[in-house]
Amino acid sequence: MNYFQIFEIESKFNLDLKELSERFQSIQKSVHPDKFAHGSNQEQMLAVKKSTLVNDAYQTLKNPLKRAEYILSLRGVEQPSEQASFSDNEFLMRQMELREMLAEIKFSDDIDASVFEMAQVLESEFEQLFKAMQVNLSENTAESNDQASRDLRKLKFYEKLHIELDKLEDSLLD
Amino acid sequence: MAYSEKVIDHYENPRNVGSMDKNDPQVATGMVGAPACGDVMKLQLKISDTGIIEDAKFKTYGCGSAIASSSLVTEWVKGKSIDEAGLIKNTAIAEELALPPVKIHCSILAEDAIKAAIEDYKSKHSS
Repeated sequence: MNYFQIFEIESKFNLDLKELSERFQSIQKSVHPDKFAHGSNQEQMLAVKKSTLVNDAYQTLKNPLKRAEYILSLRGVEQPSEQASFSDNEFLMRQMELREMLAEIKFSDDIDASVFEMAQVLESEFEQLFKAMQVNLSENTAESNDQASRDLRKLKFYEKLHIELDKLEDSLLD
Repeated sequence: MAYSEKVIDHYENPRNVGSMDKNDPQVATGMVGAPACGDVMKLQLKISDTGIIEDAKFKTYGCGSAIASSSLVTEWVKGKSIDEAGLIKNTAIAEELALPPVKIHCSILAEDAIKAAIEDYKSKHSS
């Protein structure tokens, strides 16, 4: 049973998150290990197993990038190993520039404004890539799935940049 | 996680940080990135007409191990021919810096950066 089947929702990228969350809560209640506190060992073990699976499924489908990766894996498109390097010069040059922008924020006269500006730049570039990935995922051809997988790898760089920006903001506000 | 002394040394005193003009025909640029951790590495080599690496510069945004791996590589490639530099293996980098298993990908990134730079040089000089 795949993660979509667990929640009895259609296997597609654009999900109704509210529906997903409601189904998750109702299933989680029915398999919660506390309910089997007086059951046999086997029943308890089964409940823990199911509960973990339902949790994993929910955490994966809730997060758009994890969901994309999961959908691609269902389609037989595995993401290259975490260890594999990514080489797309133009994209990496841009990442370098964004990293430099991030590093310069702390020298800015108006840190709040610089953080805000950086967040906007990151968001707009993320959105652009995210939309491209959405289109590629919905096309669902061998070629578009490969392209979606590349989009996803790029989006991970932006996810990381966003975390760095948050960290920087926290450290500068202290 | 504890970094080895060599990693800390390269991290605190990185060798050959900087940039060269990527449009200079003698300059080869290798850019690589790691989606898992968001690290970005740029390695630039200045290569003589006889194919010897005269100078190397790097710029890396990433963890200490990624910075140390690229710093070490700039020291190693200087004076080597591009063919010799192309033989540098990530395992040698990881061993020299005593990288723990979870940081092996930083040494892979550095090896790939050398390869990307050599490829850039070859494509610049193919015509």
